Amino acid sequence: MNLKITGGRVYDPAQGLDGAERDLLIQGDRIVSSLEKTDRVIEAAGRVVVPGGIDLRGQVATYGLNFLGLWNHFPSLQELGRLYAAAGYTHVHEPFLTMYTAGYVHRQLAAIPLVDTSASLVLNLRDMDNRLKSLEQMEEVGQTIKSLQEKTRALDLRLLEPFVRYRQAFYSHRTLETARTLEGLTRLALDCNLRFTLEANPEVLELPLPEPRAFHLAALGRAVTDDRLLEPALARLEEGGTADLGFELPGASAAMAGKPVKVDLGGHYPLDLNPGGQEPLAALRLALAYQGPNLAFSLGGPVRNPVAEFPRYFSWLWDRKARPPAGQGQLPPREFSLWDWVWATRTLPAKILGLADRGHLQNGARADMAIFDLPPDAPRRRWINGLSRCHTLIKAGVVVVENFELVAPETPKATYYRRTGAEGGPLLAEICQYRSLRPENLWVPDELGGPWVGLD
Amino acid sequence: MQVEQQSIICTGCGCLCDDLDVKLAQGQIQEVANVCLWGLSRFFPIKRLHPQKERHRLLEPLWRRNGRLRQVSYTQALELAAAILGQARRPLIYGLTNTGSWAQEAALQLARKLKARLEPADLAFKAPYYQSLRRHGFYWAPLEVIRDEADTVLFWGANPLHSCPRHLVRYSVFARGRFMERGVEERQVAAVDLYRTEMAKFCRLLVQIEPRQELDLLKGVEAHLSGSAAAKPAVKGARKLAKFLSQAEFGVIFFGRGATSRQGFAVLDTLGGLAARLGEKQTWALFPLSGDFNSQGLYHLLLNELGVPEAPDFGHEGGVLTAAQPVDFGEFDAILVLGADLFWFLPEDQASDLQKRQVPVVCLSPFANRTTDCSRVVLPTALAGLETAEVAYRMDGLPLVLKKLLPTALPADRDILLDLIQAV
Repeated sequence: MNLKITGGRVYDPAQGLDGAERDLLIQGDRIVSSLEKTDRVIEAAGRVVVPGGIDLRGQVATYGLNFLGLWNHFPSLQELGRLYAAAGYTHVHEPFLTMYTAGYVHRQLAAIPLVDTSASLVLNLRDMDNRLKSLEQMEEVGQTIKSLQEKTRALDLRLLEPFVRYRQAFYSHRTLETARTLEGLTRLALDCNLRFTLEANPEVLELPLPEPRAFHLAALGRAVTDDRLLEPALARLEEGGTADLGFELPGASAAMAGKPVKVDLGGHYPLDLNPGGQEPLAALRLALAYQGPNLAFSLGGPVRNPVAEFPRYFSWLWDRKARPPAGQGQLPPREFSLWDWVWATRTLPAKILGLADRGHLQNGARADMAIFDLPPDAPRRRWINGLSRCHTLIKAGVVVVENFELVAPETPKATYYRRTGAEGGPLLAEICQYRSLRPENLWVPDELGGPWVGLD
Repeated sequence: MQVEQQSIICTGCGCLCDDLDVKLAQGQIQEVANVCLWGLSRFFPIKRLHPQKERHRLLEPLWRRNGRLRQVSYTQALELAAAILGQARRPLIYGLTNTGSWAQEAALQLARKLKARLEPADLAFKAPYYQSLRRHGFYWAPLEVIRDEADTVLFWGANPLHSCPRHLVRYSVFARGRFMERGVEERQVAAVDLYRTEMAKFCRLLVQIEPRQELDLLKGVEAHLSGSAAAKPAVKGARKLAKFLSQAEFGVIFFGRGATSRQGFAVLDTLGGLAARLGEKQTWALFPLSGDFNSQGLYHLLLNELGVPEAPDFGHEGGVLTAAQPVDFGEFDAILVLGADLFWFLPEDQASDLQKRQVPVVCLSPFANRTTDCSRVVLPTALAGLETAEVAYRMDGLPLVLKKLLPTALPADRDILLDLIQAV
């Protein structure tokens, strides 16, 4: 279908459009410069047109996450897809997929309707500890990681624990502390053309990163546990590394208070699905203090951060009067513009995930866009009303939400992963020999997810 | 004769062992390697643990008329089943723990359409577990991690040699994990049971108790752990068990149906509390030993779709209600059974009540069993993971794809359910 969106105020940082009135033309699933005929015109006069949102750290399919249903803390996957679409999002990226939970994560992702999905492969460095110490074996480690990435159908690589530690004293000689691990990973990244998403923590901020551009720091705001860490966090961004915020609401959930809710993914520490939570002021201060292009928006965890909370966090960024009372007076007065917001929630997340045809509205881009009912003269306090729910959502040229109603619940969706073409060598065989499943059952078959889109 | 070798996943129990090698010739299985006696009954028409006893495979749809089952066409059987279920005031869908996930999804759809209650066959076993998690939280670890790390394993009311025979070898006791390279030589294993089972051969500690002593034993263990134990414990073995548990670095409590056969909610609540308390200092997981091959898949589906791992009842005005207590069959006037043998487990009085009230039963099953013997309509199905592809969740919640190996003219249970949805 050929669509014409007329009269909207377009915000697209990739093209330098900051609210300019433009018509957008869509042919099939792409944005084009001209149309021979128009099948439908969508009137967007007085409205804001932005690329479709990309949730860079949407913890929606983590192994064990559905147990949160026991405390009514997690919407159904159907509901989740609808919430994302209503908020103007077209892609959600799950951060925690491991070698043996890959099938689980992909099956969950496939069950989320409307939005495209992808996931990060969490590397367990214990699988390659000794080889990380040796320069000669970097190539093999790199190939193995790339092979794992393709076999588990992951889009990028993530490190929850940038160190190697063991519960068993017997293996203590194989320990690798954070500084040495980061050194090894940097070399690996440079030699093998890899990039790692590193879950930020105070220790990572205190150590020098040999090559910041080799890493994306995830949930950076959560790592700024005291004022002293704000400066190194800003320095990481100034040095050219990218990061996402990791906003989190304070206080434990009442129903789950004091209860362990943990999933062991095979690392040194389990993944805590009910972390205590901290004041979001550090993340907010970081977001407002940093004025460069390297900081994306994200939330910190699943329990207290459902997608329905997005507008509240956004409003803290763009409206200083909406910020938490505890932060009034302490936070920089800066307010995000719509341009900043689009950059942090669309343009930069697409770049970080390597989705070249998303996050912008240039010709040739996939026609993913959200139209919000926000008049040009609306005061900032009203933005939350206008930008909470999208008036129209177009995904791959299909109108999914129209006049705030879901009109195409069966819209096709896909799961994106990186095709690396790498073959596993002896290291992969060594990793697999410890697993209870045969390799063919460890890797994700077509039936457990999809439809699949492999990116080169 | 051309012999083809294939790797296959066993649907004998919740272990879903994936290291079975099958030799096929002329479209038939000639040999299966690495299979246990439990699993063998999935590949050959023999009874579980009794390879000499044959099981009758169902090949044609059946309809009971004048007290006798007669062959009918698939369309006729489907119409009869749809009429029974569609006309029922209170229909029940029962079983599903021995069916694939695609069939479970279709059954949930059908339950919604019929406004029926959907009853997992092992609700009495799993509901207390989930209630315990809700109350005490959880530390969930996949079997991969348990195999690699667990140094202390307690079996409570469970005899895996009978419920999931290769569990001990592949995951929990004899398995050589990444950091437990010497298997059972490095692991401490104990069991609590009413009987001195085969587990005694390798368990360092076997606490044998009398029926209804479970709670007293647990109280005794708690008291020893907190240092407030009486000089003479109410149940013998409490002190030793407390000492055993407190030595762990990474422990797992595997519980079986024995834990929930009496006072299930109270026992699991206390076991969950004990695991949480032990977990404050060490790592402890509480883990149900699911005998049925896709029990975990069903609860996963219920958690995903409804947020509650209990039996959903769509027959109430104002929305779906869920129940943790097993169903009262007296309420229902039609039953669809699949993935379970209802009449095998049903107490005599309840079975005879259903028969006295002439409650019509529709049964989907690959083999003849007690339920098919009592059914009004029987629809034979293809075997999941052998004659039809499916997805099943291992007992730790990891999904695996079950391949189709053999040709069959029989429909998959999912296809029958989808046809029923259309027909009702």
